[in-house]
Amino acid sequence: MLTFETPNLPASLWDSAIARVSAKVPGIKIKKLVTPNVDRTTYAKQLASSGQLPDIMMAVNPQGFAEGGQLAEFTPEELKDYAYPESGAINGKIYQLPTNAQPQSLLYYNKDDFAKAGIGKVPTTWAEFLDACAKLKTAGITPIAVGGGGQDTFASMYAWAGVLATDVFLQDPDFNKEIKSGARNFTDPAFVKATEKIAQLSKLGYLDKEGTSRSYADHEKAFRAGSAAMYPMGSWFATSVDNDKPPFGVGVFAWPSDDGKAVVPNLTGGGISVSAKAENLDLAKKFALEWTKDKETADAFTKADGTFNTVAGYKPPADMGPLFQETLAVYDKAVKDGTVTPAFSIEQGDNGLPAEFTVPIQQIAVELLDGTSDAATVAKKLNDEYAALQ
Amino acid sequence: MPGSPRHHPLQGGWLRRAREFSGFALPGLFLYGVLVLVPIVWTIVLGFTDRTRFEPQTGWAGLGQFSRLFQDDQFWLVLKNTFVVTLIVVIVPNVLGLGIALLLNRESLLYRLLRSVFFTPVILSGIVVSVIWQSLLRPDGVLNAILVDLGVDSGPRWLSDPDLALYSISGILCWQMLGFCVVVYIAGLNSVPKELHEAALMDGAGPLRRFRSVTWPMIAASVTINTVMLLISGFKVYEHILVLTNGGPGRNATASIAFDVIEKGVRGDRIGAAAAEATIMLAIIVAITGVVLRLLQRREVHV
Repeated sequence: MLTFETPNLPASLWDSAIARVSAKVPGIKIKKLVTPNVDRTTYAKQLASSGQLPDIMMAVNPQGFAEGGQLAEFTPEELKDYAYPESGAINGKIYQLPTNAQPQSLLYYNKDDFAKAGIGKVPTTWAEFLDACAKLKTAGITPIAVGGGGQDTFASMYAWAGVLATDVFLQDPDFNKEIKSGARNFTDPAFVKATEKIAQLSKLGYLDKEGTSRSYADHEKAFRAGSAAMYPMGSWFATSVDNDKPPFGVGVFAWPSDDGKAVVPNLTGGGISVSAKAENLDLAKKFALEWTKDKETADAFTKADGTFNTVAGYKPPADMGPLFQETLAVYDKAVKDGTVTPAFSIEQGDNGLPAEFTVPIQQIAVELLDGTSDAATVAKKLNDEYAALQ
Repeated sequence: MPGSPRHHPLQGGWLRRAREFSGFALPGLFLYGVLVLVPIVWTIVLGFTDRTRFEPQTGWAGLGQFSRLFQDDQFWLVLKNTFVVTLIVVIVPNVLGLGIALLLNRESLLYRLLRSVFFTPVILSGIVVSVIWQSLLRPDGVLNAILVDLGVDSGPRWLSDPDLALYSISGILCWQMLGFCVVVYIAGLNSVPKELHEAALMDGAGPLRRFRSVTWPMIAASVTINTVMLLISGFKVYEHILVLTNGGPGRNATASIAFDVIEKGVRGDRIGAAAAEATIMLAIIVAITGVVLRLLQRREVHV
């Protein structure tokens, strides 16, 4: 089984879950394999190249593997207990269990900084958001933390994914599909307008540009040390704060939009995939399904990584921390209001962009944050890069 | 039987030598063929196909992959980055290495210790070196803290400024390769016969003249070794870029050809395109190394 370790997901968590779930699947023997870094998809590709694709893989992007016939398909019957059984479909079929909903991103904020800057309530419109940023800057506080340094270029995406959710994906959840079909491209006015918002934040000095050289771990450390007032990040940050409180209060709000709708870009998926060539396919699939249905394992991962388990009827443990509860409330409200959208560059499958386009997008995001490329240039670069991949 | 080919002294010797040579060389040649030559040939062949990782059908693409590369701005950018890094890495450690070798070319415990100190980074892996430097070059890292103490308002963004990051990476490579150059130059300096220096001294030559007319020609072989090794190191830089910038900041601001080959082939699944780029990289390295070797070996002096 291919796993990965992060500060939130240490070896002990994986070991105990593997032991617990194995006990429920008679006949299975699991050998744990850990990726050398968080990029488990690239590692899985290296293993596949040498004919060593693991039988069971956690949170590996199935694109490419699925089309190449390397992954086993999950049947509708096997997916009947999932709240979003079609999430992450590739050519209409599911190759990765849609186990978790993970908002990517939300705006976590330093309550003390907001109070110092005289911001009474969290912004709900874009105009209020800009006003809050201006107040923070006047108070000598950098408004927004950004990341993307070292190997962790993915962390550059969270601000951009937020404004694209409010300005593009809320109106057109199929935007990615239309890019792939050629019906739209990145110079689409809505896409450029949303991108212009980040360019504006950069130009106004609202972004902590030093963050683009910080690794993901340092990015979080810097926010905890007070580098900026707002931290666009995935929902897993909530449990990180609940488990290890920084010296200031942390709150969370959804991305503000022009008309005040609270928008949550989200990825539902991230579960287990099973190799089509698994030694015992039925047993491997049984293990994968048991892993997500096992309440104790689901609770352990919810507590550690702040994921919202999407198995129907699942309730998070009652003793979850306050920021997790606040984050879940923001997500639940967005689900109710219909303002959950795909997350740009993070969404997978039929409604996502090609996996090999991800790193170019993340690198171009750094140019946007840095102010080295304006919105029009970014849009053109995306068009050129996408064309080059075809 | 006289005149029999079996007893011909020259031919018998040739056969014996061939048998001996085969006995010693074949295992090595076999391993070299399997581990080096076959992958190189296979890569070149793949460069003429449209192979991707997950597509079962591989088609013949002719020169298509090469022509797409030559029309791609990003390819020219990574090529330029590679040349910039290589140029810096060939010049800086070579010059500094020679200077330090001249200073350390003395016999005492202190100088022997100093040689070890300079050589230590060479034996570290690129990943380890990069992680160390990443912590030093952070915005709030040691280097910027020193600069702030010295009165600089805020230190440079060593790894996140697109105009600076490539030079930061080059600097780290220079730091790592410096010890290698020092050791090679010290070995070269030790091989210069003392009598030549003594003769030059008797002829009234000063330190500079002795360096120019005796030392410099006599260490030409060391210059060749260092230059070729640095050339190759510069061209194949990968892990430093992966750890420190992942090719950024921004689109391919620090990506090298080696990095781009891995990006295309491993992350991007475009095996044919990656193989074509690797083939171009191979051709460039072979051509430049061949020319440099020929030029430098011309001025080597053997005593």
